[in-house]
Amino acid sequence: MNFFLHINRKFIILFGAIIIFLFLIIIFFKQINLNNNIIIEDTIKNSSNADISEPKFSINNNSKKIYITASQGNFINKDEVLLNENVRFKSNDFSIETEKVIFNRDKQTAKSKTKSMFKSKNATITSDGFNIHDKGNKIIFYGNSYIILK
Amino acid sequence: MKLIINIIIIFLISITLSAREIGETEITTEDGIEVFQNEKFYLLKQNVKIVSDSFTLSADEVKINFDESLYDISELDAYGNVDFNSNEFETSGSGNFLNFKVEVEKIKVEGEGSQLVTNDVKMFSDGFIEVNNLNGDFLLKGTNSKLINDNIIIKAETINGNFSEKANEKEITYLEVIDKNISYVKNNDTEMYAKKINFDHDTSIIELIDDVIIIRNEEKITGDYGTLDTRNNSYKIKSKNQNKVKVIIQNNE
Repeated sequence: MNFFLHINRKFIILFGAIIIFLFLIIIFFKQINLNNNIIIEDTIKNSSNADISEPKFSINNNSKKIYITASQGNFINKDEVLLNENVRFKSNDFSIETEKVIFNRDKQTAKSKTKSMFKSKNATITSDGFNIHDKGNKIIFYGNSYIILK
Repeated sequence: MKLIINIIIIFLISITLSAREIGETEITTEDGIEVFQNEKFYLLKQNVKIVSDSFTLSADEVKINFDESLYDISELDAYGNVDFNSNEFETSGSGNFLNFKVEVEKIKVEGEGSQLVTNDVKMFSDGFIEVNNLNGDFLLKGTNSKLINDNIIIKAETINGNFSEKANEKEITYLEVIDKNISYVKNNDTEMYAKKINFDHDTSIIELIDDVIIIRNEEKITGDYGTLDTRNNSYKIKSKNQNKVKVIIQNNE
């Protein structure tokens, strides 16, 4: 007899119920996490001791402009700024997202040691950090890196 | 019940592990990537693995030149422990260095123990192997260079020639084999030695120049110059003034 005819209907219903239950639990915990994150973010924003909120910078070279935005920024010294949270580099060709970047306003360089995601047309790169210099011409992605070309 | 659960678990794990989707190319490196936007190339560093639907490559380091954006690859250089396999071109190979020009479909494998294997031809060299997939030109240069297919074995320092594809089979249309010591060609039942061996498909003549030896069955003929007609398998040997053509017929009975 076919194997599937052996399967008890009760088992199938029970199995389906377990799957739905697990799914609901996952959604429930995700929602709680999301709410917690929003509360934490709000708290940080409210009690933040950032030097600059919503900082905006740019790297200019002959061929293109790279815009840099973040949620917060703190001055390390006269030239260097530590950009925190939702740091985003955006040009016409690509964008890079990460959590922490040290941006040098004088040298127009940027350095990050946090997980980074580079996106361009039909290509994504994830890495353990990056370094932008030569006015955005040279980007070095650190550590274990992973590229998907579409 | 257990079987169903196992199937679901295996299915879920396999979905998680295979991040690459059909049509995409996945590249992993252990020591990062350097992207040069103006110069239009990127360097993939340490233990590089490239996997696509029809192509895989592994190497210590890879340099990729691109045209418009990163995916638009025009040329690839792989350095150190290069190993690749292309289902599309039915070609695999290995060596210390690989250069592949995408538009002209030209591939070069370099270094000791280099090899390039297609459906019907195997090529080996300690120097380099260069193949142009579009026009069929090939060049092997260096010690231990060797080309093998079903009908022919060639060993020499330089093997220069051209393949044409007839009825899905590769056929040599032109061949120039040079070795300052001695070149070797085995065609069907005939073994040939000479410093220089040429073949032209239009005339069907194999030309042997300097220190010629032809061995067939129990016959061994030596001389300074020889030709072998591949249509009727007949050959002629000539000699310079001082040397004489020598024929040795062995009787093994």
